[in-house]
Amino acid sequence: MNPFRAAIAVARKDLVSEWRTREMVPALAQFVVLALLIGNFGFQIDSRNAPSIAPGILWLALVFAGLIAFGRTFAAEREQSSLEAMLMTPASPVAIFAGKALAASVLLILCEVVLLPALWLFFGTPVSAGVVLAVILATIGMASLGCLFAAIVARVRARELLLPLLTLPLWIPFIIAGGQAVQSAMGLPGSYDQAIGLLIDFDILFVVLTSLAARFVLDE
Amino acid sequence: MSMVVANGLTHRFGGELALDGVDLVLDTGEHMAVLGDNGAGKTTLLRILATALRPTSGRLQIAGLDAFRERRRLRHYIGYVAHNPGLYPALSAAENLEFFCDLQDVSRSRVPEALEMLGLGSVAHRRASLLSRGMQQRLAIARAILHEPRLLIFDEPDASLDADAAELLGLVMKDRTAVIATHDHALANRLCPRTLVLRHGRSLGTATHLRVVR
Repeated sequence: MNPFRAAIAVARKDLVSEWRTREMVPALAQFVVLALLIGNFGFQIDSRNAPSIAPGILWLALVFAGLIAFGRTFAAEREQSSLEAMLMTPASPVAIFAGKALAASVLLILCEVVLLPALWLFFGTPVSAGVVLAVILATIGMASLGCLFAAIVARVRARELLLPLLTLPLWIPFIIAGGQAVQSAMGLPGSYDQAIGLLIDFDILFVVLTSLAARFVLDE
Repeated sequence: MSMVVANGLTHRFGGELALDGVDLVLDTGEHMAVLGDNGAGKTTLLRILATALRPTSGRLQIAGLDAFRERRRLRHYIGYVAHNPGLYPALSAAENLEFFCDLQDVSRSRVPEALEMLGLGSVAHRRASLLSRGMQQRLAIARAILHEPRLLIFDEPDASLDADAAELLGLVMKDRTAVIATHDHALANRLCPRTLVLRHGRSLGTATHLRVVR
Protein backbone atom coordinates (compact mmCIF):
# COMPACT_ATOMS: atom_id res chain seq x y z
CA MET A 1 0.00 0.00 0.00
CA ASN A 2 1.51 3.29 -1.11
CA PRO A 3 1.20 5.70 1.85
CA PHE A 4 1.31 8.76 -0.46
CA ARG A 5 -1.62 7.43 -2.48
CA ALA A 6 -3.57 6.84 0.74
CA ALA A 7 -2.74 10.30 2.13
CA ILE A 8 -3.76 12.00 -1.14
CA ALA A 9 -6.99 9.97 -1.25
CA VAL A 10 -7.87 11.05 2.31
CA ALA A 11 -7.05 14.71 1.61
CA ARG A 12 -8.99 14.69 -1.66
CA LYS A 13 -12.00 13.10 0.06
CA ASP A 14 -12.00 15.80 2.77
CA LEU A 15 -11.62 18.62 0.26
CA VAL A 16 -14.36 17.27 -2.04
CA SER A 17 -16.67 16.92 0.98
CA GLU A 18 -15.93 20.51 2.01
CA TRP A 19 -16.41 21.79 -1.54
CA ARG A 20 -19.86 20.16 -1.70
CA THR A 21 -21.09 21.06 1.77
CA ARG A 22 -19.23 24.38 2.21
CA GLU A 23 -19.52 23.90 5.96
CA MET A 24 -16.15 25.17 7.07
CA VAL A 25 -14.45 27.70 4.77
CA PRO A 26 -17.24 30.31 4.44
CA ALA A 27 -17.82 30.27 8.21
CA LEU A 28 -14.09 30.51 8.96
CA ALA A 29 -13.64 33.32 6.44
CA GLN A 30 -16.45 35.27 8.11
CA PHE A 31 -14.92 34.57 11.49
CA VAL A 32 -11.47 35.90 10.55
CA VAL A 33 -12.95 39.03 8.94
CA LEU A 34 -15.03 39.68 12.08
CA ALA A 35 -11.95 39.16 14.27
CA LEU A 36 -10.04 41.76 12.23
CA LEU A 37 -13.00 44.14 12.38
CA ILE A 38 -13.17 43.83 16.18
CA GLY A 39 -9.40 44.38 16.37
CA ASN A 40 -9.74 47.42 14.14
CA PHE A 41 -12.38 48.99 16.37
CA GLY A 42 -10.70 47.84 19.60
CA PHE A 43 -7.47 49.73 18.96
CA GLN A 44 -6.74 53.28 17.85
CA ILE A 45 -5.07 52.34 14.58
CA ASP A 46 -2.90 54.83 12.73
CA SER A 47 -0.07 54.49 10.24
CA ARG A 48 2.57 54.47 13.04
CA ASN A 49 1.17 51.71 15.27
CA ALA A 50 -0.52 49.53 12.61
CA PRO A 51 2.61 47.38 11.87
CA SER A 52 2.98 46.53 15.57
CA ILE A 53 -0.72 45.82 16.24
CA ALA A 54 -1.71 44.06 12.98
CA PRO A 55 0.54 40.99 13.45
CA GLY A 56 -0.98 40.32 16.88
CA ILE A 57 -4.52 40.51 15.52
CA LEU A 58 -3.48 38.36 12.55
CA TRP A 59 -2.14 35.57 14.79
CA LEU A 60 -5.13 35.73 17.13
CA ALA A 61 -7.53 35.32 14.22
CA LEU A 62 -5.42 32.55 12.74
CA VAL A 63 -5.09 30.63 16.01
CA PHE A 64 -8.82 30.61 16.70
CA ALA A 65 -9.69 29.80 13.08
CA GLY A 66 -7.16 26.95 13.26
CA LEU A 67 -8.71 25.55 16.42
CA ILE A 68 -12.09 25.40 14.68
CA ALA A 69 -10.72 23.95 11.43
CA PHE A 70 -8.51 21.29 13.02
CA GLY A 71 -11.09 20.41 15.68
CA ARG A 72 -13.57 19.41 12.98
CA THR A 73 -11.14 17.15 11.09
CA PHE A 74 -11.55 14.13 13.34
CA ALA A 75 -14.76 15.11 15.14
CA ALA A 76 -16.71 14.78 11.87
CA GLU A 77 -15.18 11.33 11.22
CA ARG A 78 -16.14 10.19 14.73
CA GLU A 79 -19.66 11.58 14.46
CA GLN A 80 -20.38 9.74 11.21
CA SER A 81 -18.53 6.60 12.43
CA SER A 82 -16.35 6.63 9.35
CA LEU A 83 -12.98 6.76 11.08
CA GLU A 84 -13.18 3.11 12.10
CA ALA A 85 -14.02 2.10 8.53
CA MET A 86 -10.95 3.98 7.34
CA LEU A 87 -8.72 2.47 10.02
CA MET A 88 -9.98 -1.01 9.11
CA THR A 89 -8.20 -0.74 5.77
CA PRO A 90 -4.53 -1.68 5.27
CA ALA A 91 -3.71 2.05 4.87
CA SER A 92 -1.17 3.23 7.41
CA PRO A 93 -2.58 5.41 10.23
CA VAL A 94 0.28 7.82 9.53
CA ALA A 95 -0.91 8.19 5.91
CA ILE A 96 -4.48 8.75 7.08
CA PHE A 97 -3.26 11.37 9.57
CA ALA A 98 -1.11 13.07 6.93
CA GLY A 99 -4.07 13.24 4.54
CA LYS A 100 -6.32 14.77 7.19
CA ALA A 101 -3.63 17.30 8.18
CA LEU A 102 -3.01 18.19 4.53
CA ALA A 103 -6.71 18.84 3.89
CA ALA A 104 -7.03 20.90 7.10
CA SER A 105 -3.97 22.96 6.07
CA VAL A 106 -5.48 23.66 2.65
CA LEU A 107 -8.76 24.78 4.26
CA LEU A 108 -6.90 27.12 6.61
CA ILE A 109 -4.81 28.49 3.74
CA LEU A 110 -8.08 29.24 1.91
CA CYS A 111 -9.14 31.27 4.96
CA GLU A 112 -5.80 33.05 4.85
CA VAL A 113 -6.59 34.06 1.27
CA VAL A 114 -9.42 36.11 2.83
CA LEU A 115 -7.54 37.02 6.01
CA LEU A 116 -4.47 38.68 4.47
CA PRO A 117 -6.26 41.08 2.07
CA ALA A 118 -8.68 41.89 4.93
CA LEU A 119 -5.66 42.69 7.12
CA TRP A 120 -4.43 45.14 4.48
CA LEU A 121 -7.92 46.62 4.18
CA PHE A 122 -8.51 47.14 7.91
CA PHE A 123 -4.98 47.98 9.06
CA GLY A 124 -3.35 49.35 5.93
CA THR A 125 -0.31 47.15 6.45
CA PRO A 126 1.53 45.78 3.40
CA VAL A 127 0.86 42.11 2.69
CA SER A 128 4.13 41.13 1.06
CA ALA A 129 5.38 37.72 -0.08
CA GLY A 130 7.33 37.61 3.19
CA VAL A 131 4.12 37.82 5.24
CA VAL A 132 2.45 35.13 3.10
CA LEU A 133 5.45 32.80 3.46
CA ALA A 134 5.54 33.21 7.27
CA VAL A 135 1.81 32.52 7.58
CA ILE A 136 1.96 29.42 5.35
CA LEU A 137 4.99 28.00 7.17
CA ALA A 138 3.26 28.48 10.52
CA THR A 139 0.09 26.89 9.15
CA ILE A 140 1.94 23.66 8.27
CA GLY A 141 3.30 23.11 11.78
CA MET A 142 0.12 24.27 13.47
CA ALA A 143 -1.91 21.89 11.30
CA SER A 144 0.22 18.87 12.20
CA LEU A 145 -0.07 19.59 15.94
CA GLY A 146 -3.70 20.66 15.75
CA CYS A 147 -4.75 17.52 13.87
CA LEU A 148 -2.87 15.25 16.26
CA PHE A 149 -4.62 16.72 19.29
CA ALA A 150 -7.92 16.78 17.41
CA ALA A 151 -7.52 13.01 16.88
CA ILE A 152 -6.76 12.52 20.58
CA VAL A 153 -9.71 14.54 21.88
CA ALA A 154 -12.22 13.42 19.23
CA ARG A 155 -13.30 10.53 21.40
CA VAL A 156 -13.97 12.58 24.55
CA ARG A 157 -17.09 14.60 25.26
CA ALA A 158 -15.35 17.84 26.31
CA ARG A 159 -13.29 18.01 23.12
CA GLU A 160 -14.08 21.69 22.40
CA LEU A 161 -12.56 22.58 25.77
CA LEU A 162 -9.64 20.16 25.69
CA LEU A 163 -8.39 20.95 22.19
CA PRO A 164 -7.34 24.57 22.95
CA LEU A 165 -5.90 23.55 26.32
CA LEU A 166 -3.63 20.96 24.70
CA THR A 167 -2.86 22.75 21.46
CA LEU A 168 -2.31 26.40 22.37
CA PRO A 169 0.81 25.88 24.53
CA LEU A 170 2.49 23.96 21.70
CA TRP A 171 1.51 26.56 19.13
CA ILE A 172 3.37 29.28 21.05
CA PRO A 173 6.69 28.71 19.18
CA PHE A 174 4.87 29.24 15.86
CA ILE A 175 3.19 32.38 17.15
CA ILE A 176 6.48 33.82 18.46
CA ALA A 177 8.52 33.03 15.35
CA GLY A 178 5.64 33.79 12.98
CA GLY A 179 4.88 37.05 14.78
CA GLN A 180 8.50 38.12 14.53
CA ALA A 181 8.64 37.22 10.82
CA VAL A 182 5.44 39.12 10.03
CA GLN A 183 6.56 42.18 12.03
CA SER A 184 9.91 42.22 10.20
CA ALA A 185 8.14 41.83 6.85
CA MET A 186 5.96 44.81 7.79
CA GLY A 187 9.02 46.97 8.42
CA LEU A 188 9.58 46.65 12.16
CA PRO A 189 13.08 45.81 13.47
CA GLY A 190 14.02 42.12 13.76
CA SER A 191 15.62 39.44 11.64
CA TYR A 192 13.15 38.05 9.11
CA ASP A 193 15.52 35.31 7.94
CA GLN A 194 16.15 34.08 11.47
CA ALA A 195 12.40 33.91 12.20
CA ILE A 196 11.70 32.05 8.94
CA GLY A 197 14.56 29.65 9.72
CA LEU A 198 12.99 28.97 13.10
CA LEU A 199 9.58 28.36 11.52
CA ILE A 200 11.12 25.81 9.11
CA ASP A 201 12.89 24.07 12.02
CA PHE A 202 9.66 23.92 14.03
CA ASP A 203 7.76 22.59 11.00
CA ILE A 204 10.26 19.77 10.48
CA LEU A 205 10.35 18.92 14.19
CA PHE A 206 6.59 18.85 14.71
CA VAL A 207 5.71 17.17 11.42
CA VAL A 208 8.12 14.33 12.28
CA LEU A 209 6.98 14.07 15.92
CA THR A 210 3.27 14.14 15.12
CA SER A 211 3.71 11.55 12.34
CA LEU A 212 5.39 9.23 14.82
CA ALA A 213 2.72 9.85 17.44
CA ALA A 214 -0.19 9.50 14.97
CA ARG A 215 0.39 5.77 14.72
CA PHE A 216 -0.27 5.32 18.42
CA VAL A 217 -3.13 7.79 18.55
CA LEU A 218 -5.09 6.35 15.64
CA ASP A 219 -4.19 2.68 15.91
CA GLU A 220 -6.40 1.74 18.88
CA MET B 1 -8.33 -25.41 8.28
CA SER B 2 -9.58 -23.02 10.97
CA MET B 3 -10.10 -19.42 9.90
CA VAL B 4 -10.70 -18.11 13.42
CA VAL B 5 -9.32 -19.53 16.67
CA ALA B 6 -10.09 -17.51 19.79
CA ASN B 7 -9.11 -18.46 23.32
CA GLY B 8 -10.41 -16.74 26.44
CA LEU B 9 -11.29 -13.44 24.78
CA THR B 10 -12.00 -10.99 27.58
CA HIS B 11 -12.63 -7.27 27.34
CA ARG B 12 -13.27 -4.62 29.96
CA PHE B 13 -14.45 -1.08 29.37
CA GLY B 14 -13.05 0.60 32.46
CA GLY B 15 -14.25 -1.60 35.31
CA GLU B 16 -17.11 -3.11 33.33
CA LEU B 17 -16.71 -6.60 31.95
CA ALA B 18 -18.05 -6.62 28.38
CA LEU B 19 -16.72 -10.00 27.28
CA ASP B 20 -15.75 -12.81 29.61
CA GLY B 21 -13.46 -15.55 28.35
CA VAL B 22 -15.08 -16.42 25.04
CA ASP B 23 -13.59 -19.37 23.15
CA LEU B 24 -14.35 -19.87 19.50
CA VAL B 25 -13.19 -21.92 16.53
CA LEU B 26 -14.52 -21.20 13.08
CA ASP B 27 -13.53 -23.28 10.08
CA THR B 28 -12.85 -21.81 6.65
CA GLY B 29 -16.10 -21.22 4.80
CA GLU B 30 -18.19 -21.66 7.93
CA HIS B 31 -20.98 -19.22 8.81
CA MET B 32 -21.80 -18.46 12.43
CA ALA B 33 -24.47 -16.25 13.98
CA VAL B 34 -23.92 -14.48 17.29
CA LEU B 35 -27.10 -13.98 19.27
CA GLY B 36 -27.77 -12.26 22.55
CA ASP B 37 -29.72 -9.47 24.21
CA ASN B 38 -28.62 -5.85 24.06
CA GLY B 39 -25.40 -5.47 26.04
CA ALA B 40 -24.60 -9.17 25.82
CA GLY B 41 -21.22 -8.42 24.24
CA LYS B 42 -21.98 -9.16 20.57
CA THR B 43 -20.53 -5.93 19.20
CA THR B 44 -17.47 -6.17 21.45
CA LEU B 45 -16.82 -9.71 20.24
CA LEU B 46 -17.28 -8.72 16.60
CA ARG B 47 -15.00 -5.69 16.91
CA ILE B 48 -12.31 -7.90 18.44
CA LEU B 49 -12.71 -10.47 15.65
CA ALA B 50 -12.46 -7.63 13.10
CA THR B 51 -9.23 -6.49 14.85
CA ALA B 52 -10.81 -3.09 15.45
CA LEU B 53 -10.52 -3.59 19.21
CA ARG B 54 -7.73 -5.19 21.22
CA PRO B 55 -9.05 -7.53 23.93
CA THR B 56 -7.98 -6.99 27.53
CA SER B 57 -6.83 -10.60 27.56
CA GLY B 58 -7.08 -13.71 25.44
CA ARG B 59 -5.63 -14.87 22.16
CA LEU B 60 -6.96 -14.63 18.65
CA GLN B 61 -5.65 -16.16 15.45
CA ILE B 62 -7.12 -15.41 12.05
CA ALA B 63 -6.00 -17.41 9.02
CA GLY B 64 -3.16 -18.76 11.16
CA LEU B 65 -1.82 -15.29 11.99
CA ASP B 66 -1.75 -13.59 15.37
CA ALA B 67 -4.62 -11.13 15.02
CA PHE B 68 -2.95 -8.29 16.89
CA ARG B 69 0.67 -8.61 15.89
CA GLU B 70 -0.26 -9.03 12.22
CA ARG B 71 -3.37 -6.98 12.16
CA ARG B 72 -2.40 -4.64 9.35
CA ARG B 73 -1.69 -7.65 7.16
CA LEU B 74 -4.97 -9.23 8.23
CA ARG B 75 -6.96 -6.20 7.13
CA HIS B 76 -6.66 -7.57 3.58
CA TYR B 77 -8.52 -10.69 4.74
CA ILE B 78 -11.32 -9.09 6.76
CA GLY B 79 -14.46 -7.27 5.65
CA TYR B 80 -16.30 -5.61 8.52
CA VAL B 81 -19.70 -3.92 8.55
CA ALA B 82 -20.35 -2.09 11.81
CA HIS B 83 -23.80 -1.32 13.15
CA ASN B 84 -23.47 2.24 11.82
CA PRO B 85 -22.69 2.34 8.06
CA GLY B 86 -19.97 5.02 8.52
CA LEU B 87 -20.26 6.54 5.04
CA TYR B 88 -19.26 9.98 3.77
CA PRO B 89 -22.56 11.81 3.26
CA ALA B 90 -21.25 14.38 0.75
CA LEU B 91 -19.78 11.72 -1.54
CA SER B 92 -21.84 9.65 -3.94
CA ALA B 93 -22.26 5.89 -3.49
CA ALA B 94 -19.63 5.26 -6.17
CA GLU B 95 -17.23 7.86 -4.73
CA ASN B 96 -17.51 6.30 -1.28
CA LEU B 97 -16.44 2.97 -2.74
CA GLU B 98 -13.72 4.51 -4.92
CA PHE B 99 -12.22 6.15 -1.85
CA PHE B 100 -12.07 2.80 -0.06
CA CYS B 101 -10.61 1.15 -3.19
CA ASP B 102 -7.73 3.63 -2.90
CA LEU B 103 -7.24 2.81 0.80
CA GLN B 104 -7.57 -0.93 0.18
CA ASP B 105 -5.17 -0.69 -2.76
CA VAL B 106 -7.60 -2.40 -5.11
CA SER B 107 -8.63 -1.30 -8.58
CA ARG B 108 -11.54 1.13 -8.85
CA SER B 109 -12.94 -1.16 -11.54
CA ARG B 110 -14.36 -3.23 -8.65
CA VAL B 111 -16.83 -0.46 -7.83
CA PRO B 112 -19.53 -0.99 -10.52
CA GLU B 113 -19.45 -4.73 -9.88
CA ALA B 114 -19.91 -4.29 -6.11
CA LEU B 115 -22.69 -1.74 -6.60
CA GLU B 116 -24.55 -4.04 -9.01
CA MET B 117 -24.16 -6.99 -6.68
CA LEU B 118 -25.80 -5.03 -3.86
CA GLY B 119 -28.54 -3.63 -6.11
CA LEU B 120 -27.18 -0.09 -6.01
CA GLY B 121 -26.29 0.36 -9.68
CA SER B 122 -29.12 2.85 -10.27
CA VAL B 123 -28.07 5.09 -7.36
CA ALA B 124 -24.32 4.97 -7.97
CA HIS B 125 -24.10 8.75 -8.44
CA ARG B 126 -26.50 9.71 -5.68
CA ARG B 127 -24.97 11.23 -2.55
CA ALA B 128 -24.82 8.83 0.39
CA SER B 129 -26.80 11.29 2.52
CA LEU B 130 -29.72 10.99 0.08
CA LEU B 131 -29.84 7.20 0.21
CA SER B 132 -32.35 5.43 2.45
CA ARG B 133 -31.01 3.76 5.60
CA GLY B 134 -31.37 0.36 3.91
CA MET B 135 -29.43 1.52 0.84
CA GLN B 136 -26.73 2.97 3.08
CA GLN B 137 -26.47 -0.41 4.77
CA ARG B 138 -26.15 -2.10 1.37
CA LEU B 139 -23.42 0.39 0.47
CA ALA B 140 -21.55 -0.43 3.68
CA ILE B 141 -21.76 -4.13 2.73
CA ALA B 142 -20.48 -3.31 -0.77
CA ARG B 143 -17.54 -1.47 0.82
CA ALA B 144 -16.76 -4.52 2.98
CA ILE B 145 -16.45 -6.85 -0.02
CA LEU B 146 -14.45 -4.55 -2.34
CA HIS B 147 -11.16 -6.26 -1.52
CA GLU B 148 -12.59 -9.81 -1.71
CA PRO B 149 -12.10 -10.60 1.99
CA ARG B 150 -11.95 -14.18 3.21
CA LEU B 151 -13.64 -13.38 6.52
CA LEU B 152 -16.81 -11.26 6.73
CA ILE B 153 -17.97 -9.80 10.02
CA PHE B 154 -21.42 -8.20 10.09
CA ASP B 155 -22.87 -6.41 13.10
CA GLU B 156 -26.66 -6.57 12.75
CA PRO B 157 -26.55 -6.17 8.96
CA ASP B 158 -30.26 -6.91 8.66
CA ALA B 159 -31.29 -4.01 10.94
CA SER B 160 -32.23 -1.71 8.05
CA LEU B 161 -32.45 -4.12 5.16
CA ASP B 162 -35.69 -5.07 3.48
CA ALA B 163 -37.29 -8.49 2.97
CA ASP B 164 -34.51 -9.56 0.57
CA ALA B 165 -31.92 -9.25 3.35
CA ALA B 166 -31.35 -12.98 3.81
CA GLU B 167 -30.90 -13.55 0.09
CA LEU B 168 -28.53 -10.60 -0.24
CA LEU B 169 -26.44 -11.59 2.76
CA GLY B 170 -26.36 -15.21 1.56
CA LEU B 171 -25.01 -13.99 -1.76
CA VAL B 172 -22.13 -11.97 -0.30
CA MET B 173 -21.30 -14.63 2.31
CA LYS B 174 -21.06 -17.39 -0.32
CA ASP B 175 -17.62 -19.05 -0.31
CA ARG B 176 -16.48 -16.90 2.60
CA THR B 177 -16.21 -17.42 6.33
CA ALA B 178 -18.74 -15.18 8.07
CA VAL B 179 -19.78 -14.09 11.54
CA ILE B 180 -23.07 -12.23 11.92
CA ALA B 181 -24.52 -10.62 15.03
CA THR B 182 -28.28 -10.40 14.81
CA HIS B 183 -31.47 -10.34 16.87
CA ASP B 184 -33.33 -12.17 14.13
CA HIS B 185 -33.29 -15.85 15.07
CA ALA B 186 -34.98 -16.88 11.83
CA LEU B 187 -32.30 -15.12 9.78
CA ALA B 188 -29.59 -16.70 11.92
CA ASN B 189 -31.03 -20.17 11.36
CA ARG B 190 -31.41 -19.58 7.64
CA LEU B 191 -27.90 -18.25 6.98
CA CYS B 192 -25.76 -19.87 9.62
CA PRO B 193 -25.46 -23.53 10.47
CA ARG B 194 -23.80 -22.57 13.79
CA THR B 195 -24.95 -20.22 16.50
CA LEU B 196 -23.14 -18.68 19.46
CA VAL B 197 -25.27 -17.26 22.24
CA LEU B 198 -23.85 -14.58 24.51
CA ARG B 199 -25.28 -13.40 27.81
CA HIS B 200 -23.64 -10.76 30.02
CA GLY B 201 -20.44 -11.18 28.02
CA ARG B 202 -20.25 -14.95 28.54
CA SER B 203 -20.71 -17.59 25.94
CA LEU B 204 -23.61 -19.95 26.63
CA GLY B 205 -22.08 -22.26 24.04
CA THR B 206 -22.31 -22.88 20.35
CA ALA B 207 -24.55 -25.31 18.58
CA THR B 208 -25.41 -26.38 15.10
CA HIS B 209 -28.99 -25.34 15.66
CA LEU B 210 -30.43 -22.57 17.76
CA ARG B 211 -33.06 -24.79 19.42
CA VAL B 212 -30.36 -27.02 20.96
CA VAL B 213 -28.78 -24.08 22.77
CA ARG B 214 -31.97 -22.61 24.07
